[in-house]
Amino acid sequence: MIRRAAFTLLAWLFIIGAAAAALTFPGLTGRVVDEASLLSAADRASLTASLADLEARTQDQLVVVTLKSLQGTTIEDYGYQLGRHWGIGQKEKSSGVLLIVAPTERAVRIEVGYGLEGTLTDAATRLIIENAILPAFKTGDFAGGIRNGTNQIIRLLDGEAGSGATSRLPAPANPGTSMPIWVVIVAAAGGAGLLIYCAVSGGSACRALFQILFLLALSGRGGSSRDKSSPFSGGGGSFGGGGSSGKW
Amino acid sequence: MHGSVARRRFRAAFLIPLISLFLIGCGYNNIPTYEEMAKAKWSDVLNQYQRRSDLIPNLVETVKGFAKQESSVLEAVTAARAAATSVKVDANTITDPEIFKKFQEAQAQLSGSLGRLLAISENYPDLKSNQNFLALQSQLEGTENRIAVARRDYIEAVRVYNTELKTFPGSLWARIFYSSNKPMEAFTVADSVKTVPTVKF
Repeated sequence: MIRRAAFTLLAWLFIIGAAAAALTFPGLTGRVVDEASLLSAADRASLTASLADLEARTQDQLVVVTLKSLQGTTIEDYGYQLGRHWGIGQKEKSSGVLLIVAPTERAVRIEVGYGLEGTLTDAATRLIIENAILPAFKTGDFAGGIRNGTNQIIRLLDGEAGSGATSRLPAPANPGTSMPIWVVIVAAAGGAGLLIYCAVSGGSACRALFQILFLLALSGRGGSSRDKSSPFSGGGGSFGGGGSSGKW
Repeated sequence: MHGSVARRRFRAAFLIPLISLFLIGCGYNNIPTYEEMAKAKWSDVLNQYQRRSDLIPNLVETVKGFAKQESSVLEAVTAARAAATSVKVDANTITDPEIFKKFQEAQAQLSGSLGRLLAISENYPDLKSNQNFLALQSQLEGTENRIAVARRDYIEAVRVYNTELKTFPGSLWARIFYSSNKPMEAFTVADSVKTVPTVKF
């Protein structure tokens, strides 16, 4: 008995520890998430406008984010997880980009989604960071560096869209998310049959099965709901560590 | 006579969807699904290692042009690359601990010698400012980062798959239907030579 209690306690401690070790991410409040307060309201507005224009032209989602803290990890590690957490970029193409600035750690990174790795290559993003962003950051001009860097990224993405966007790397398939219509029909027919069978026989095992199915349906729903009231949200794109980083 | 056949048919038509629904609901499909996911993640890992391997000859040539005297480091990289490419691990051998360990060690060896090569390049200002070298360096850094991400995704996929094999009801299906499925190997050797700098105040 005591051993079991100790085991339970240990398990709980482990769960709490794991939760504490996980990174926390700021909310996706818009195309510019200025957690570290580096930008003025006017800067934020003009950046947001040009980022919205970009998405209207190319469907690529670029998000500028400044962070108070990297929570003890590297900007590379934080960056791809933040991108996946927000799901920036169109789902089928994973065409999302993050410009991440962490002033506390003096680190900047351009995080490139799977689908744009061919356009915003590591070398190209490195050049943008070295030539457009870091010189301004070194003088303390964060708004200027972010503006320059954003413009350069937009220029590359525009050029790519103009030259026929068919050569993009396909995003890796995400198994289990899209379901052909016949599966749904078969499942619905099966469910109806089961319902009739249960109504006729009325067994308790049947009821238990239904409860399980109901719980499954509930748990499946949680992940896919998205806040429709928010004016901007990620399209469900994914990230695999593309892009490059710099320090000043 | 006639009626009983029809009734049997009716019952079969009724029971088959019922049973298949029951099986799906109880995770009959989980083991093959998780297995395929882990295999896909593994091919991602291999892709990224291949990409790194492809960058190396170009990098070695570029460094050679500026730092011929560092031949021992350059040869170590070339040798480590050859050793790493000779260890083949495909989707069917990720359940073999021995081959997997060899693969890990060979790649870690290559990471180490690549780290030394990049470290010595700091001593050559001409090399450091060479555009070709800069591009290669950023590609290599990006690839190392992608390797880290792919490895972590793979480890997570293997964790899910191995857990399914060992826990109920997956363990039941594993024993009855998937007795040839073995747990997959995950990475245990730290690949990167870079350590995250710890800042102390």
